Amino acid sequence: MTRYVVSRVGRAVLAVWIAVTITFFLLRLLPGGPTTLMLDGVNDPALEAKLLADYGLDQPLITQYGLFLWQLIQGNLGTSFYSQSPVAEVLFDRMPWTLLLAGSAFLITLVVGIPLGVAAAVKRDGLPDQALRFFGMAGQAMFVPSLAVLLLAVFALKLGWFPIGGAVSSFVEGPQYVASVISHLILPLLSLVFINIGPYALTVRTNMLQVLGADYVRSARARGLSSQAVIWNHGLRNAVIPAVTLMGLQLGTLVGGAVLTETVFAYPGIGSLIYEAVGRQDFPILQGAFILLAITVVLANLLTDLVCLLLDPKLRTGNRA
Amino acid sequence: MSDTQNVAEAVPPVSEREVILDVRDLAVDFTTEMGRVSGVQGVSFTLHRGETLAIVGESGSGKTTTINAVLGLLPGNGDVTSGEIFFRGTDIAGYSEKALRGIRGKHIGLVPQDPMSNLNPVMRVGDQLAEVLLAHGKATRKDVRGKVNELLARAGLPDAATRARQYPHEFSGGMRQRALIAIGLACQPELLIADEPTSALDVTVQRTILDHLGSLTRDLGTAMILVTHDLGLAAERAETVIVMNKGRIVEQGPSAQILRDPQHEYTRRLVESAPSLASDRMKPINPGALTGQITEMPVILHVRDLVKEYTVRSHTDGKRKTFTAVTGVNFDLHRGTTLAIVGESGSGKSTTARIALRLEEPTSGLVEFNGTNIAHLRGRGLKTLRKQVQPIFQDPYASLNPMASVGEILEEPLKIYRLGNRAARRERAMDLLEMVALDASIYDRFATELSGGQRQRIAIARALALEPDLIICDEPVSALDVLVQAQILELLMKLQTELGLSYLFISHDLAVVRLIADQIVVMKAGEIVERGAVVDVFTSPQHEYTRMLLDSIPHIASRGTAG
Repeated sequence: MTRYVVSRVGRAVLAVWIAVTITFFLLRLLPGGPTTLMLDGVNDPALEAKLLADYGLDQPLITQYGLFLWQLIQGNLGTSFYSQSPVAEVLFDRMPWTLLLAGSAFLITLVVGIPLGVAAAVKRDGLPDQALRFFGMAGQAMFVPSLAVLLLAVFALKLGWFPIGGAVSSFVEGPQYVASVISHLILPLLSLVFINIGPYALTVRTNMLQVLGADYVRSARARGLSSQAVIWNHGLRNAVIPAVTLMGLQLGTLVGGAVLTETVFAYPGIGSLIYEAVGRQDFPILQGAFILLAITVVLANLLTDLVCLLLDPKLRTGNRA
Repeated sequence: MSDTQNVAEAVPPVSEREVILDVRDLAVDFTTEMGRVSGVQGVSFTLHRGETLAIVGESGSGKTTTINAVLGLLPGNGDVTSGEIFFRGTDIAGYSEKALRGIRGKHIGLVPQDPMSNLNPVMRVGDQLAEVLLAHGKATRKDVRGKVNELLARAGLPDAATRARQYPHEFSGGMRQRALIAIGLACQPELLIADEPTSALDVTVQRTILDHLGSLTRDLGTAMILVTHDLGLAAERAETVIVMNKGRIVEQGPSAQILRDPQHEYTRRLVESAPSLASDRMKPINPGALTGQITEMPVILHVRDLVKEYTVRSHTDGKRKTFTAVTGVNFDLHRGTTLAIVGESGSGKSTTARIALRLEEPTSGLVEFNGTNIAHLRGRGLKTLRKQVQPIFQDPYASLNPMASVGEILEEPLKIYRLGNRAARRERAMDLLEMVALDASIYDRFATELSGGQRQRIAIARALALEPDLIICDEPVSALDVLVQAQILELLMKLQTELGLSYLFISHDLAVVRLIADQIVVMKAGEIVERGAVVDVFTSPQHEYTRMLLDSIPHIASRGTAG
């Protein structure tokens, strides 16, 4: 078990390092240097050279990489080209909103998706099963921004039930602040959940169907256990293991969806920050945001592995490394 | 065995005891894509308190459908269309799921077939037993631990308190079946249904498990339905035997009578082909077999000092260790004869077979095929060897590509070796079908449309396609029904005589080995413990382990005289 945990943590560290390295080199491969925007069309080689030297961009790439890693370990992600404030500070301001949005979408998907998948498996072609098939197909077919725009048009513009954008109204305090946060959260949350719940619940359904056909479930029924005990203790406890793994893998999709959703709803999280930074060619911000997202996804996957460890006794006694 | 008889004589005759289960004219239909299909028809039988009844039949005979109907566990497309199932005087055939819940586990226990798949893998074994006791009010949260330990201990699990806290994957097959027996008998039911309770276990384990099951049900006065495909086992363990075929009871009566004097033609065929009942090698007998000339035939496969080690990671401390699968194995297989390697799971017999097929390389030792050491053969030499040594595997459902037609399956080896043109390959495939006694019309069918026996014939035909000298048969009949087993063994014998084939025959089933082998090698824990001509080993086994294996075959004779 210790071996399992150590190996998973080791893999997570390796994954973060690879993501960091790819991010670093990928951004430097992009056409148009960082000075293009700062010089704003002025042709002044001397000024350009000075700017490059200021940011250390005149060094060989490999030296830049080493320097970058050294700074990163110390928590220094550089300074935004655009706002001149430290990248870590900018990210720190925006991150809570993304965590709130993606986190609550994750929780709702879980809390609604699992029972939906179970209900669909237990009674095939019943109402939950048909609803699930609709969500499954719609979720696959729909592009997050189109759904977001649709929701905006109907519920914010036409009906006026929810605000059009942002995360919270200005100058509110106490309970009103909370209410404002929630009302701003609902539409982006809805579009994220709508897209993610179908595939997830379908996985639960498929696994559940397989497990319900297993010999040990028939045996449990033959022992006179209540159908609730059979479905939850014997069925779901087995079906949920592959579903949890999938959830971890899907987290990347969830984060990607959050970026698009945030942009449409002008939700001030990491997603819209990335969108803004791309327009400004703000390399340090992009770099920082990508690294942050990579770390988030890797951590979530690590967490998934540890949850699987709790759920699957075979992992705990170390029959599989 | 003598135990069973003594007790049976001590208590009043079965027929005077209380009737536990009375099934009358039961019929079950299944709704399929092809319309309504009859599962069982006109099934009637009576079971008294403490009586053991065996239902014997091949797959598809309706034996499992019958017990599923009694338990109310028919699959969704199955219905009881007529008849009654009186359990202690009440007809439970039409009971709702909720009403049945009060009976299942509490009054009717089940010991399922495959101990590997019938315990919930993510739940502690003790919790699965506790769950039943709690559901039927046989224990409280406070005293359930103690009762669980007591029941597990009674089922023959040593150190029950520790075992109760473990998960199924930490148990061996035999231990799991003991746990399942403890669960089945937890609430002291009046009736226990044992569905092929030992067919997934090693023979030596089978015997102890069945003995234990017998003594537990006897002590508790539990009536038992023993479902099995093995007539010998049924006769040894039950007072009454029901023989089912194609959804109907073809014969029922006292077990001794059914074996000694079977009335129905189907039962007669079953008795004749049950390998556990046969006493001789199958005809046609290899000319050399009886006169001791086998050893004068040239040696086709010569194995000396074979060792195979694997590096494994220990479960407990994660350290790398060497696991010896096979060590010091020597044998000679003579051309045109059959050498059987017999042993239980983990004995190293399959590893030896894989090395002989050159699917694996030995750690050390000599494997000579026709005088060439093939142990580490590669490239062109290996390709030639593949042509001369062909396998037949255990499970014809898994060994044939479901997406390929029979023709494609048979012609594939010819294509790989670029033998003949399209027409010639087709002709060869037709010849092969004829050799294994299959109709030419099967050429265009898919393996999924065929029965188990037909599939195994295809697998044999495929092995013959390249005209090999040596065929390695890894449990070739253990996935098949008794009657089909006999036919496949006959086919293998016929082909051996006609084509002069040599067989290396891997099996756990001594009864089958007796029918087909000339020489036998008994393996245990990676080593050979006994070897010799089949006749000698069967009549005077030298090693204790061989004797134990032989004793594990259900013997009809001993029961037949008891009446």
